[in-house]
Amino acid sequence: MIVSFENRLSRFLGTTAIFIAIILVLFPFLWIFLESIKPPSLGGRPDIWRFEPSWENWHEIVFNSNVPLNILNSFFIALITVVISLICGAPAAYAFSRFRGFQGARYSILAAEMMPPAILILPLFLLLYKLELIDSRVGVITAHLTFVVPVVAWFLIGFFDEVPKDLEDQAMIDGYTRFQAFYKVILPAVRPGLAAAGIFGFVLSWNDLFYSLLLTGAESRTLPVAIAGFWTFRGIELGKMAVAILIAVIPVLILSYSIQKHLIRGIGGSGVKY
Amino acid sequence: MGQVDFKNLRKSFGSTNIIDGLNLEIHNSEFLVLLGPSGCGKSTTLRLLAGLESVSSGTISIDGCDVTELEPRDRDIAMVFQNYALYPTMTVEQNIGFGLKAKKMSPKLIKEKVNEVADLLGLTHLLNRKPNALSGGQQQRVAIGRAIVRKPKVFLFDEPLSNLDANLRLEMRAEIMKLHRELGATTIFVTHDQEEAMAMADRIVIMDKGLIEQVGTPTEIYFQPKTRMVAGFIGNPSMNFMKGEISKNSELKLPIGNIKVNTILNLGQHIDVGIRPEKIKLADPKRKPNENIVRVMVTNIELLGPRAIVKMEHESGQVLTSVVDHDEIGKYELGTNISISLASNALHIFPKIKD
Ligand SMILES: Nc1ncnc2c1ncn2[C@@H]1O[C@H](COP(=O)(O)OP(=O)(O)O)[C@@H](O)[C@H]1O
Ligand SMILES: [Mg+2]
Repeated sequence: MIVSFENRLSRFLGTTAIFIAIILVLFPFLWIFLESIKPPSLGGRPDIWRFEPSWENWHEIVFNSNVPLNILNSFFIALITVVISLICGAPAAYAFSRFRGFQGARYSILAAEMMPPAILILPLFLLLYKLELIDSRVGVITAHLTFVVPVVAWFLIGFFDEVPKDLEDQAMIDGYTRFQAFYKVILPAVRPGLAAAGIFGFVLSWNDLFYSLLLTGAESRTLPVAIAGFWTFRGIELGKMAVAILIAVIPVLILSYSIQKHLIRGIGGSGVKY
Repeated sequence: MGQVDFKNLRKSFGSTNIIDGLNLEIHNSEFLVLLGPSGCGKSTTLRLLAGLESVSSGTISIDGCDVTELEPRDRDIAMVFQNYALYPTMTVEQNIGFGLKAKKMSPKLIKEKVNEVADLLGLTHLLNRKPNALSGGQQQRVAIGRAIVRKPKVFLFDEPLSNLDANLRLEMRAEIMKLHRELGATTIFVTHDQEEAMAMADRIVIMDKGLIEQVGTPTEIYFQPKTRMVAGFIGNPSMNFMKGEISKNSELKLPIGNIKVNTILNLGQHIDVGIRPEKIKLADPKRKPNENIVRVMVTNIELLGPRAIVKMEHESGQVLTSVVDHDEIGKYELGTNISISLASNALHIFPKIKD
């Protein structure tokens, strides 16, 4: 086989570009990891590369900080947010998928996404304040629902589009109500989509800083807020922050990797096919 | 039992009338085929009967019971869709039993009935498979099994064979007819394939643009088409048509000459005259009465095994197609003039409706 010069050149350039991209993306992780195992005495000195590794930062974070509580808060909030989002988002997505009228209607669920969160936060804050839900997990969940529900619904439309309508017709002829047809036949058929949308929504909630920063206090503080909190007026506690960042990021990496197959369809696949 | 009655059925989507006043009685145990060009409203008719679409006006009754407003699940019908619509997450066994489960039947009884049907359709060894591990023909059988296991009053089939290859289609066709004979349930079968319709139907309903053109046995539909549409739609190669009008002495004035017929149509009425290709014969030297001899030139011969399709042209420009048996082909030579005979009683006369 003769490989032309142009071909080899373009292969070489492509490979190089990928390597550069990988280094650009991975370097911060490496740096953060090194920072997390530096002895505290060397904290805040990113220029030092040779040191004796120490697990002191990890020990501090795990046993002598609020970070475990923050992790629990984040996990609990993301989990409840996702469960509610799936319960509301799946029927909504199904309805949009089967809607025979104006096909652009489905884009309307993205309207909430397009609004700057700053517009929502003030009324939300006042509302939660009146309900005495500031510094409560319920309050943060409410806030997260405003953006996770539409995203989950949007994500699922493409999956429902791929389930033939004949399937629910068949179930109704087979003796079921329309709603039974939906949850006995259609929902199981989009199970991979539900899992992917759930994970996607979970990561969105888990990563949120904006709402959590404004709505949480000591009790309900989430991990991103806690991470930001290492930046104190005494300076940045870079070592501990690095530990918390790694703890926050690793689940996201694993989860995102697990749904990568469905991400494209979920994010892009719900566009209207004329 | 399973007698279906459509009265004045209308269905419109938005402002377009898809079904435009359909009246039809389907007898108990009948195998009725809905035949028509694609988009004429066959599927819509089935879906109306199934309750998957709501009627715009008119009534549907099954065994004398008005079901127009009933939900699909309360109508006691079963349907086989073109793409089979098997539940992808369920095994064959669960697919077939799903309708029985809705009736709150005991799992033991369901298993019994599913096994019985699987046995009948040769699906026993596939019961634990998922639909995506089945061939097209097997999926088709599962869909049929799911329909018959419930013993409904009426079976609906919406072009169930069109996704199968030619051999399998013939096999499934025979199998569906056999099942119909054994079960004796009323069956409404939609197709756009006239050969399929002819082979399977007790009666054929020809539809066009949301209206019934003709209802009749395959023989009636073929030999006594009531409308120009039916005449042109049925038959392969299709019927020859000539434009003409009625002249004095009830003669047909046609491009190929005047032909004497018995007709009650009025002088001056514009008409289409049709004749089936197989009715165009070489003129016999011993001329019989009622035969009309026409000189034409052979313009094309297409050999199709046992038969050939011969195209010919009259000096007026009128083109005629004839079907010729293999051993007759020698008598037709490309580019030569021949005499053909058109029997008057083989002519179909359709008055043109002015609009
Ligand atoms: N849900 C619907 N909304 C709008 N138009 C429809 C709908 N279903 C069918 N139609 C139209 O009705 C006509 C008849 O369709 P159909 O009954 O599927 O035809 P057939 O099965 O004879 O090919 C088609 O022109 C189709 O576009
Ligand atoms: Mg159809």
